[in-house]
Amino acid sequence: MLNIHEQESKYAESARKFRKNVDRDLANQELRSNFRGAMDYLMDKRKTAFPEQDELETLRRQAQLIKQRCLLKLPHLLEELEQNLTKNGIHVHWAETPAQANEMIAQLIASKKGKTVVKGKSMVSEETALNDYLEQRDIECLESDMGEFIVQLAKEHPSHIIMPAIHQNKKQVADLFSGNINDFEHTTDVDALIQQGRKTLREKFCNADVGISGVNFAVAETGTLCLVENEGNGRMCTTVPDLHIAITGIEKVVEHMADIPPLLSLLTRSATGQIISTYFNMISSPRKKGEKDGPEEVHLVLLDNGRSQAFADDELRQTLQCIRCGTCMNHCPVYTRIGGHAYGTVYPGPIGKIVSPHMLGLEATSNLPTASSLCGACGEVCPVKIPIPKLLLRLRKESVKPESQQPVIMKGQGSGRTTLEASIWKAWSLVHKVPALYRLSMFMVTRFRFLIPNKLGGWTSVRTAPKPAARTLHERLRERK
Amino acid sequence: MSTKTELQQLSSKSKSSILAKLKAQVSGADYSKLPVEMAYEYPELSHQQQLELFTNNLTANHAQVINTSKESIERIVAEELSKRNLNKILIGTNSEYKDGLSAQLEVQEYDFDLQQNKPYLFNEVAASLSTSLCSIAQTGTIVLWPDENEPRTLSLVPPVHFVIVDAQKLYPSFSDVLVKQKWQQNMPTNIVFISGPSKTADIQQTLAYGAHGPKELVVLLINV
Repeated sequence: MLNIHEQESKYAESARKFRKNVDRDLANQELRSNFRGAMDYLMDKRKTAFPEQDELETLRRQAQLIKQRCLLKLPHLLEELEQNLTKNGIHVHWAETPAQANEMIAQLIASKKGKTVVKGKSMVSEETALNDYLEQRDIECLESDMGEFIVQLAKEHPSHIIMPAIHQNKKQVADLFSGNINDFEHTTDVDALIQQGRKTLREKFCNADVGISGVNFAVAETGTLCLVENEGNGRMCTTVPDLHIAITGIEKVVEHMADIPPLLSLLTRSATGQIISTYFNMISSPRKKGEKDGPEEVHLVLLDNGRSQAFADDELRQTLQCIRCGTCMNHCPVYTRIGGHAYGTVYPGPIGKIVSPHMLGLEATSNLPTASSLCGACGEVCPVKIPIPKLLLRLRKESVKPESQQPVIMKGQGSGRTTLEASIWKAWSLVHKVPALYRLSMFMVTRFRFLIPNKLGGWTSVRTAPKPAARTLHERLRERK
Repeated sequence: MSTKTELQQLSSKSKSSILAKLKAQVSGADYSKLPVEMAYEYPELSHQQQLELFTNNLTANHAQVINTSKESIERIVAEELSKRNLNKILIGTNSEYKDGLSAQLEVQEYDFDLQQNKPYLFNEVAASLSTSLCSIAQTGTIVLWPDENEPRTLSLVPPVHFVIVDAQKLYPSFSDVLVKQKWQQNMPTNIVFISGPSKTADIQQTLAYGAHGPKELVVLLINV
């Protein structure tokens, strides 16, 4: 019998501390200025990348429809993808949980007696906390994206899905390198810092047994894995070691190769304002006979981790349209102020708030959907038109729905419900349904308004306490007659 | 640790479970009634305009573009290398430029298997030359289709990458390439789009070139 240890995700634990985390990070001036600077830069870049509103809107609509079509056909496309990948010589593995995915990857590495792994940027491998898992098995798993490399050295998690080390400035990176890399001459010159990273990582690429990568798009009709990147570390990880393992979520599959151009264009322009990334890498098979490089074996691990739960509801399914560009965080007033770590989840910001409840359950994440002013910026910039504000409202409702109410759509339904809040709303609704009760309550509120305390917890920390009027509007109108 | 067979069983169990959950939701879906996906119609550009756009995009991304004729390729490569105090270059096998280059430079062909030669490729090769399949104006992209002669790492590991681009094989957009070349019918092991030298802005949004791949991309655009 298989003994895979399913334990609660460490992210569930940190997501529960959301409010504490927010207090901690709001008080950190350096962090706030790092985020403010970075978000202003990224918003500006995106704006320049879409000079024509008409083009942007046409592309967004097209991309939304492409993703919706691919989701409607998802089970069939996954089967087609597996068939074509297998035909091309790429092995496919299916995992329902992070623990299963990790076990599969560890087994693949062990089968090659692998000891050192280089990893290209993969948020899905963050979901599974793969680095920790491999480390416990004495396998060195080194992040090779510059931002991820920095974050790993600092023993942190990415604070942004596109720019993982955005919370650090160059001075902090320089100090980090000084403390961790031998022979590093302290400098805050960004070119010199990057060249240091290049030197350290090139040695690793040269010697690694295994390369692990994510996938931006998986094309069903051809059995092709597409990777978008600027640095070349993704190409290194997928080309130089003998074994390449890719890991991705089941929602990343698209039907046709022809679906890629509009999605790719929106992805890079929304993410960093680039018309295209430096590299776009399409992998369709392991090394063929006669070829002189490329991995002997290529594997793809398809991970569910709560995605099928989101899929089961028509409205929530739109969550899976996401192409992980990160532009919703760049435009979010909450994210910009509290930063990426406060959320405690793998995916921060607006997309994190709507995707994490499916991965970790509402019990650990019921605070997240409430951390929004519902200003609507995220929905407005989303390249695949996910109605994020609407989904936030929906998740708020799911989290306070009575636990017993059928059908249960989400793990942790009702976990945000408190008896006090529920009773207040019940009373509120009763008062508004029964005229006599309404009049009585208005009478009480106006006559006993002096009983309202001056301090009302969080509400009065930055405001004065509300004071009801001496007469209700109804009464005053009656007096005028 | 679990054995290979156990994990295969687990994978197929997970597969059935995931697919069953998904299928239960969309089993009755009618694919004939999907909304029409309208693509944006970009203004048509003349060949000359496309060339300009291509060059501007690449230059904006820090690539060096040199207009040249097929006959001058070897001379220009030698000149550019000597500007960088280099005199060696790695090229693909069966290259038509081998003889011309050998007359002026120390030429090494990629005639080895990477597995036994990683330290050599990573530490001793300073520049490489590759050809390309076609290119894309809208994004300033060069499409490489690596093969036995020109392996994937030829355009990745050496710090200076020279790439030959034929102006006659320039397409307006990625979508056009797919329509005309129909890659879908037969995908090679790897296709890579290159739109500049390797770069990163991961430290304080400051652009730095030569992150992991080539620090310099020199495009030899055959245009006469």
